[in-house]
Amino acid sequence: MVFRALTRQVGRRALIALTVALGVSLSTAILSVMWNIGDKVNEELKAYGANIVVRPQSSAILSSLYEDADTGSATLAEEDLGKIKTIFWAFNILDFAPFLSLDASVADSTASVEGTWFNKTLDLPTGEQAQAGMKNLRSWWDVSGDWLSDCCDDKVMASSSYAAAHGLTVGQMVTVGGPSTSKTLKLAGIYDSGDSSASDLLVTLKTAQELAGSPGAVSRIEVSALTTPDNDLARRAAKDPKLLSAADWETWYCTAYVSSIAYQLEEVIPESVARPVRQIAESEGVVLEKTQSLMLVIALLSLIGAAMGIANLITASVMERAAEIGLMKAIGGTSRQVVFTILAENLVIGAIGGLAGYFAGLGLAQVIGEAVFGTSISITPIVAPIMAGLVLVVIAVGSLPAIRLLLKLKPAEVLHGR
Amino acid sequence: MAADAKRARRAMFTTMIVRALSRRRSRMLVALLAVTVGATMLTGLSAVVLGAPSQMGRELRSYGANLVVSGNISTSSLPSLDAAVASDDVVGRAPYRYAELKLNEQAVTAAGTDMESVQSVRPYWQVSGSYPTSGQVLLGRDLAATFGLKTGETISLAKVGADEAAAMTVAGILDTGGSEDSFVVLPLEDLDKLLGEEGKLDVVEYSIATSNLDAAAAKLAQAVPGASADPVKRLAKSENTVLNTLSSLLGIVAVVVLTLMLITVATTMLAVVTERRSEIGLKKAIGASHRELLREFLGEGVLLGIAGGVVGGILGLGFSQLVAMQVFARPIDVVWGLLPASILISAAVTVVASLWPVGRVLATDPAIVLREE
Amino acid sequence: MALLELRNVTRSYGELDALKNVDLSVEEGEWLSIMGPSGSGKTTMMNLIGCLDKPTSGEIWLDGTELSHLSGKALTKVRRNTIGLIFQKFHLVGHLTALENVMLAQYYHSLPDKQEALEALDRVGLAARASHLPSQLSGGEQQRVCIARALINYPKIVLADEPTGNLDEANEAVVLDFFSQLHAQGTTLIVVTHDPEVGRLGERQVNLAHGVIEKEVRHALACPLLPDQECATPEEPCDIRDLEKVMA
Repeated sequence: MVFRALTRQVGRRALIALTVALGVSLSTAILSVMWNIGDKVNEELKAYGANIVVRPQSSAILSSLYEDADTGSATLAEEDLGKIKTIFWAFNILDFAPFLSLDASVADSTASVEGTWFNKTLDLPTGEQAQAGMKNLRSWWDVSGDWLSDCCDDKVMASSSYAAAHGLTVGQMVTVGGPSTSKTLKLAGIYDSGDSSASDLLVTLKTAQELAGSPGAVSRIEVSALTTPDNDLARRAAKDPKLLSAADWETWYCTAYVSSIAYQLEEVIPESVARPVRQIAESEGVVLEKTQSLMLVIALLSLIGAAMGIANLITASVMERAAEIGLMKAIGGTSRQVVFTILAENLVIGAIGGLAGYFAGLGLAQVIGEAVFGTSISITPIVAPIMAGLVLVVIAVGSLPAIRLLLKLKPAEVLHGR
Repeated sequence: MAADAKRARRAMFTTMIVRALSRRRSRMLVALLAVTVGATMLTGLSAVVLGAPSQMGRELRSYGANLVVSGNISTSSLPSLDAAVASDDVVGRAPYRYAELKLNEQAVTAAGTDMESVQSVRPYWQVSGSYPTSGQVLLGRDLAATFGLKTGETISLAKVGADEAAAMTVAGILDTGGSEDSFVVLPLEDLDKLLGEEGKLDVVEYSIATSNLDAAAAKLAQAVPGASADPVKRLAKSENTVLNTLSSLLGIVAVVVLTLMLITVATTMLAVVTERRSEIGLKKAIGASHRELLREFLGEGVLLGIAGGVVGGILGLGFSQLVAMQVFARPIDVVWGLLPASILISAAVTVVASLWPVGRVLATDPAIVLREE
Repeated sequence: MALLELRNVTRSYGELDALKNVDLSVEEGEWLSIMGPSGSGKTTMMNLIGCLDKPTSGEIWLDGTELSHLSGKALTKVRRNTIGLIFQKFHLVGHLTALENVMLAQYYHSLPDKQEALEALDRVGLAARASHLPSQLSGGEQQRVCIARALINYPKIVLADEPTGNLDEANEAVVLDFFSQLHAQGTTLIVVTHDPEVGRLGERQVNLAHGVIEKEVRHALACPLLPDQECATPEEPCDIRDLEKVMA
C-alpha cells in the first residue's frame, strides 16, 4: 500500500525527496568540514612559523645569553633529524628545519651566517620518505631571485638589509670566510623578512658545516606541528610531566598538546631541549578555538534551518492530502493505520533522499575543502548516523502536527467540499 | 463613478487576500514559518559572514604586535603616537626600553616596559608568579635557571659601570620560548631610575586590528619626527592568509546554506499553492483571467514575503549578535542594510515560488482541474 | 439564429472520440436536458458549451460568436459574460463566506456589489447565512450559493452539471424549483444529468450514448412543478408557456 502510494504522484514525492537530499547534503558537508576545521585552520596558521624550537641541552640556557659566544661544543646531530618523523605524533609534524649559525667574515666585516635545509627529501628509518625544510616555515618572506636548493652547495642568499648595506646584487660572487675554511658562493636570491631577527646570509646546511668545520652539526631545529589547544592538563604537564598521575600522563602523552610533542621530540633527539614558542603556540590555540566554535554555531544553525525547512515542507505536503486522509478514514482506516501509512511513506521517501543527499554532501565537502583549503576533507564516519537520526526526527516532527490536525477533521467534511 | 468602481474592486481584492491568509491559518503559518526561517538564516548568516573576519582579526592580535615604532622616540612621544591611530582599532600598545645591566655582577639584557600594557600586546607571555610592580622584576626562564633563582628571592641590579646596585625582588618567572626567556623584565620607571636617565624609549609596539596596516604605519611615522614605523611582516602576511581563508570558508558555507533555504522556501510555497489547484480551476471557470489570478497570488506572496522578511530579518540580526557574543564575546556591527535586503529577497522568493505553480495550474484546463476532486 | 449551436463537433482524447460529429442547437429561453450514462460524453459536451474546453473539430456558435478559434483569454471573457456554471460538487472557495463567493463572480465579471450579492443570496433563501463559510453550510445551501453565484451576472445560459447529484430529495426539490423559476423568467437552461426525473423537466431532452446523440425527445407540455403529470390540461404555471408557444 505504501509503495502504491509512492509510485503515484511521483512529482510531489520527488519534491520531498529532493528537499531532504538537499538538506542532508548540506548538513553532511558542513559537519564534515566542521570536523576537519581544526586541522585545516591549524595548517593555515602554520604560516606564522614554527611553534617548537629544539636546542642542544647546554646551549638552551647559554646560547641566547651569550649570543655571539661560540657554542660549537654543544650541537645536535644532523643524523638524528629523521627521528622527528618517528615520534608518536609524527603525522602532526608538518615541517621542520635544522639550522647551524656561525659568524663569518665577508669582505673584511663580520656577517651572521645560517645554514639550513630548504626543501629536502628525507629517507626515514622506517623506509618512508618525508619533506622538510625552511621554505614553508618562512612563508612571509619576500624573495627576489631564487631560493636555494639543497642539492647545490655553491650558492648563498642574503637579507635585503645586508645586501643593501654591502651593495650586493643577485648573480654576484660572495666570498665567505668561516672559522675553518672559506668559500666563494654565488648570490642566488635576496630575502626581505620584515624583521631584524633573520641572519645576514643563508647557505645550505652542508656549506655552513664546512665553513664551521663541524660536519653533521646542527645548532637549532625549528619544528612546525599541528597541536591541540592547551588545557589545564597541558599546563600542569608543561611545568613538569613527572608530577602527573599515571592516567593523566597517558592522556597527556597521547594528546597532541604542544608540550607533549615537545616532550616526545626531546625523547628522540639526544641531548636536546624542545621548547614551545609561546607566541605561536598560545595564539594558535585561541584562533583555533574561535574558528571551531564559529563553525560549530553555524553548523548547528544550518542543521536547525535544514530541519525546519524539511519538516515544514512535509507538514505542508501532508496537509495537502486532506482529501486522501479523509478517504482513508471514510473507508474504515483507524487513526493509527492512517498515521502509520503516511509516516511510513514519508520515511521511505526520506531514506531515499537522505541516502542520495549523504553522498552528495561528501562530494560537496570535498568541493569546499578544495576551494577553501586546497586539500581534501576526510570522511568522518559519525556524520552518517547523525544524519540518519536527523532525517528520522525531522520527518516524524514534520508529519505529526499535520496528521494530528487532519485526524481531527470529519471524513465527510473533507470529502464533500470544504 | 470610475473611482468608486476602482475602490470596490480594490476592497474585494484585499478581502480575498486577507481571507486567504487568515482563514487558512495553519497552511499560511507553515508558509510564513518557512519564509521566516529562510529570512532569519539569510540575514543572520550574512551578518556573520560580514562581521566574523574583522572579529577574527582581533583574535589574531593574540599573536602580538603587528606594528613596531622605533627611532627617535621617548615617553613624551606616546600621546602624539596614540593620537595618530584610531583608538578603537588599537588592541594594545606597549613601550620598551632595552639596556645592558649587571645582575648579581654578571651582564644581562634588561627590558623595561609598562606591565599593564605589555599584557595586551603580548598575551602569550606565561608568567608563573605575578607581574612585577615597582621594585620587582620578571626573570626569563633561561636566566632564572642559569642563576638558580626562584620567585620571591632578592637580586641586585646595577647599571654597567656603576657601583651602586638596587635590590629587587623576583615577582615571577617568564616563559615565552623566545628571546625574552633570557631577559630581565622590569617596570620602565625602575629601569629609568637605574640608568639615571629618563624618558628614552627604544621601541613602541602596537597591536592594531585594521585591514590597512601600511596606512596606520605611515600615520604613526608622521606623528613623531625622527620615528619610523614598520608593520611586522610575518604577522601581517600570515594574518591576511588566515583571514582570507576564513572569509572564503564562511562565504561558501553561507552560499550553500542560503541556496538550501531558498529551495526549501520555494518547495514549501509550491506545496502550499499546489494544494489550491481546485480553487484556481474554479476561479478560472467562473471567469477569472490569468492576470487576475496571478495578481491575487502575487498579493498573497508579497504579503507573506514581507511579513517573513521583517520578522526573519530582525531575528537574523539578533542571531548574528548571539553568535558574536557566544564566539567572540563581543557584539558585531549591525549592518542595517541587511533588513531591507532580507525583505526584498523574501518577497521575491515567495512570489516566484508561488507564481510558478499557479502558472502551471493555469496552463491546464479548468475542466480537468475541477474533475480531479 | 439559435443562441447556441454545435455544428459537426468532435472532441477526441487521443484515440478515443468522446463526442463524434454532434449537431445541436439551443434556442434562447429553452430548457435543455442532456442525459446519458457515464462515459457517454455528457461532461465533454458540458465542458465545450461552458467554454472550459475546445472541440477537436467542428464549430460552436454561442450568441453569434464562434468559439473554437478563440484564444484562452477570449474564452475566459465569453465564459465570464455569457455563462453561469453550476457544479455537482458545488466548488465554492473554502476560505470565503457565502456572500464573498458570490461577490467573487461579480469581481471577475466587472464590479463587486455587496447589495446586489446579498439580494442574490436572498433570492435563494440564504440571506441569513451570508457570512457563513462553505464548511458551515449544508450541501443544499452550498448548491444554492452556487446558483446565486451563477446567476449574479445575468448570464445568457445557465449550465448545470449534475446539479442535484450530491443532494438529498428535499434539497433537490428546492434546487429544481429554482430552475423552473429561472426558466419562467426566460433564462436559457442546460442541465446535464443522468437522473431521468431531472431530465424530464426540460422542454427538450437529448440522450447521449458513446459520443453521439442517440435520441432527442420533446416534452412539449413539461411541467417542472408537477413532473409526474403530463400536463394535459393547461394549468399554472404550464399554461403560460403553452400560451406563449401558441402565440409564437
